[in-house]
Amino acid sequence: MEPVGEGGEELRRADGELILLWTLPVLGVIWLSAFLLFPGFVQPMSPTMSAEEVAAFYRDPENLPRIRYSMIVFNWFAVGLIPILALIVLQMRRMAHRTPIFSYAIIACAAGGPTTFLMANLFWLTAAFRPERDPAQTMMFNDLAWVTFSSQVGFLIAQSVILALAIYLDRQERPVFHPWVAHFNLVVAALLVPAAFVGLALEGPFAWDGLLTFWVRNIAIGVWIVVMGVVLGQAITRQRAEDEALAA
Amino acid sequence: MSAAAVEAAPAAPSGSLIRKIAWHWRYDEKRELWIGWWTLVIFYNLYGVLFFVLARTQPPPEPSLTPAEIVQWFADRHYGLLYGYALVFIVGGATAIMNATLAYTMRRMSVSRAFAYSYLVIYALATLPGMLIMGVVCTVGAMRPDRDPELMSWLYDFAFLSFEGTMGVFLIGSLVWMTAVLLDKNRVFPKWFGYLNLCNALTEVVVAPAWIFKRGVFAWDGAIAWWINMAVFVTYTAVFLSLLRKMILREDFGTGPLPELESESTGALEAAS
Repeated sequence: MEPVGEGGEELRRADGELILLWTLPVLGVIWLSAFLLFPGFVQPMSPTMSAEEVAAFYRDPENLPRIRYSMIVFNWFAVGLIPILALIVLQMRRMAHRTPIFSYAIIACAAGGPTTFLMANLFWLTAAFRPERDPAQTMMFNDLAWVTFSSQVGFLIAQSVILALAIYLDRQERPVFHPWVAHFNLVVAALLVPAAFVGLALEGPFAWDGLLTFWVRNIAIGVWIVVMGVVLGQAITRQRAEDEALAA
Repeated sequence: MSAAAVEAAPAAPSGSLIRKIAWHWRYDEKRELWIGWWTLVIFYNLYGVLFFVLARTQPPPEPSLTPAEIVQWFADRHYGLLYGYALVFIVGGATAIMNATLAYTMRRMSVSRAFAYSYLVIYALATLPGMLIMGVVCTVGAMRPDRDPELMSWLYDFAFLSFEGTMGVFLIGSLVWMTAVLLDKNRVFPKWFGYLNLCNALTEVVVAPAWIFKRGVFAWDGAIAWWINMAVFVTYTAVFLSLLRKMILREDFGTGPLPELESESTGALEAAS
C-alpha cells in the first residue's frame, strides 16, 4: 500500500492493529479446543482423588495423548493474549491521563498473567512425561499444576482493577471506553477472588473443581476476553475513522 | 490531556476522609501518582503482615530440618499458610502499579526511556520467583499434610530457595535505578539515593551462598543471607517511599529539573494525601 500523504502512516499502523485484533477469535477457537481436549477439564479432576487414582488418570492410554497434546497446544498459545493486551495499552495511551503509570502497570500484568499459566502447563506436562513415576510424585506435580492454574488470579485482578481506574479517570469529551467497561472489569475482578483460596478445600465451591474456583473463574475470564475484544475492536475502528478524517 | 485542568478546582475540603479522597479523585492533577504511592505504602505493609504474621514464613526457618521436622513445620502453620498465601495471591498483582509508579520516576528523569522500561519489565518478572512460586509451593505443601515427607522436604526447599535465592532481578533492577539516579539532571532523587541502590544490589550478591550452605551465617536463614539483607531492604524501601512522596509533591509535569519544595507545609494536598 502506498502511503497517502501524512495520514498514510497512521492508516497502515491501524491496519496492523486490526490484524493483531483478528488473532483473538482464532486464539479463542484454539484455546477452547485445547480446553475440551484436556481430559481433566471437561469434567474437572477432583482434588479428593487418591495418589493411585491420579496416577491411573495419567497412565490411561486414552488420556495420556490428550493430556500431552492439549498442553503442548496451550504451551504454544498461552502467550497469544499478550498482543491483545498490548492493544489495550495503546488505547490507554489515548486516555486523558497525566502520566503513563496505568499503561505501564498493564504492561507489567501482561507479562505476569500468561507466565503463571505457563508454570501450571509445565507441571502438567512434567506429570505426563513419566506416568510410570511413583504415584505420590505424579500427584505432587498434579497438585502443583492445579494450584498454580487456579490460585494465580492476582495479575488478572490487578489488570481489571487498573483498567477500571484508568477508564474512570479518562475525563474527556469522548472517553476511549464507556464507563460500563470499567464497572464490568470490577465485577470480573470480584468474581476471580474466591479462586485464590483453592488450597483450603478439597471439596465444595472453593476446591479446584468447585463452582467458584473452576466454573465462575474460568467463565469470568472467558467473558472478559470476549467483551474486551469487542470494545477494543470498536475503539480501534473509531480511532481509525478519526485518523482517516484527519488525513482527508 | 488537560480536560480536568480547565475546571477551576475548589479548595480541598477539610473534614471527613471520604470527602478528602473524593476531592482528590475529582480535582487533584497528581491523583495517578498518589494512587501509586498509596498502593506502595499499603501493600508493602500488607505483604509484611501476610509473610511475617499470618503465613509465618518470615523470618525463614532453618534449611537443615529433617523431613519429619518439615512435615511438622507445615502442620504448625497449616491455616496460616493457606489463608496467608490466598491473600497474597489476591493482592499480588498490586506490584504492577507499584513498579509502574517507580518506573515513572525514571521517566521523569533526564535519562533515556530505556531505564524506565527495563525497571518495569525486570520487576514484573520478579514477582513470580520472588513471591508467587513460594506461595504456590507452600499451599501445595499445606493442603495435603499426609504427603510423603521426602516430597514435603523438596517442596520446602523449593519454596525457600526460590524466595531467598532469586537474586538477579533485584540486583540488576537496583543497578538500573542507581544508574538512572546518578545520570539524572532533573534532580528527581538525591545522588546519595543512587548509592543506596548499590547497597541493595550488594545484598543480592552476598545471598548467593544460600544455594550452597545449609547452616551458619550464609544459609538462607543466616545473618548474611537474611538479616542484613532484610535490614537493608527495609531501610531502602522506607527511604524511597519518602523520597517518592517528595518527588510527587514537587512534580510539575514538565520535562526539565523538578522544582524544589518551597516549604514542607505547602498545601493541604500533602496533609490529606
